[in-house]
Amino acid sequence: MALRAAILGHLRVPVQTLTQNGRALQSWNLLNLNRSMSSHDDHLDKQEVIDRVVSVVKSFPKVDPAKVTPEVHFQNDLGLDSLDTVEIVMALEEEFKLEIPDKEADKIDSCKLAVEYIANHPMSS
Amino acid sequence: MKKLTGLQKQVLGLYRGFLRAARSKGPEDRKKIESYVSSEFRNNAKNVERKNFIYIEYLLRRGTKQLDQLKTVETVSTFTVPSRSGN
Repeated sequence: MALRAAILGHLRVPVQTLTQNGRALQSWNLLNLNRSMSSHDDHLDKQEVIDRVVSVVKSFPKVDPAKVTPEVHFQNDLGLDSLDTVEIVMALEEEFKLEIPDKEADKIDSCKLAVEYIANHPMSS
Repeated sequence: MKKLTGLQKQVLGLYRGFLRAARSKGPEDRKKIESYVSSEFRNNAKNVERKNFIYIEYLLRRGTKQLDQLKTVETVSTFTVPSRSGN
């Protein structure tokens, strides 16, 4: 019985929102809140991407966090090698829940390019 | 960055492949695989003569086979044993 009640209680939720759907959607648009409500299909805020990329790179064991800027080049500025770069790009994939194809991943050699790629990727989250 | 050669790209691609495969394992296996794979690649990067293409290609083929094995196998036990075909 408890289960049945729980299911019924749950089922009522979408019905209620459906009746209010038109008005609710309208007010979201008016307030430009639909951005924060949807889970994908719009881009992350660029500044947020920058902050998260920088913090992933800072937390990489071989990196001196003081040297990390949003423009920093992994090999020229941080003294990393190409294997380290692969590891960093993989860590960024995990942070933003992406899979970056090899061809693209090979090009990402700085925070700047990483931010660019991630900010333009529709599946970043 | 210096432009990568085709061979270097293949090596980095293989390394990426291993790290991806490691992700699909449990956290403990993942750590083991990552540290083993990372030290193998770094050792070879340091010790293998850059122009020894035949040997690098051989290592690539061997690595690719090991990666295929890692992807299909349930545990990492067969993987972490030092390679019999070594040096």
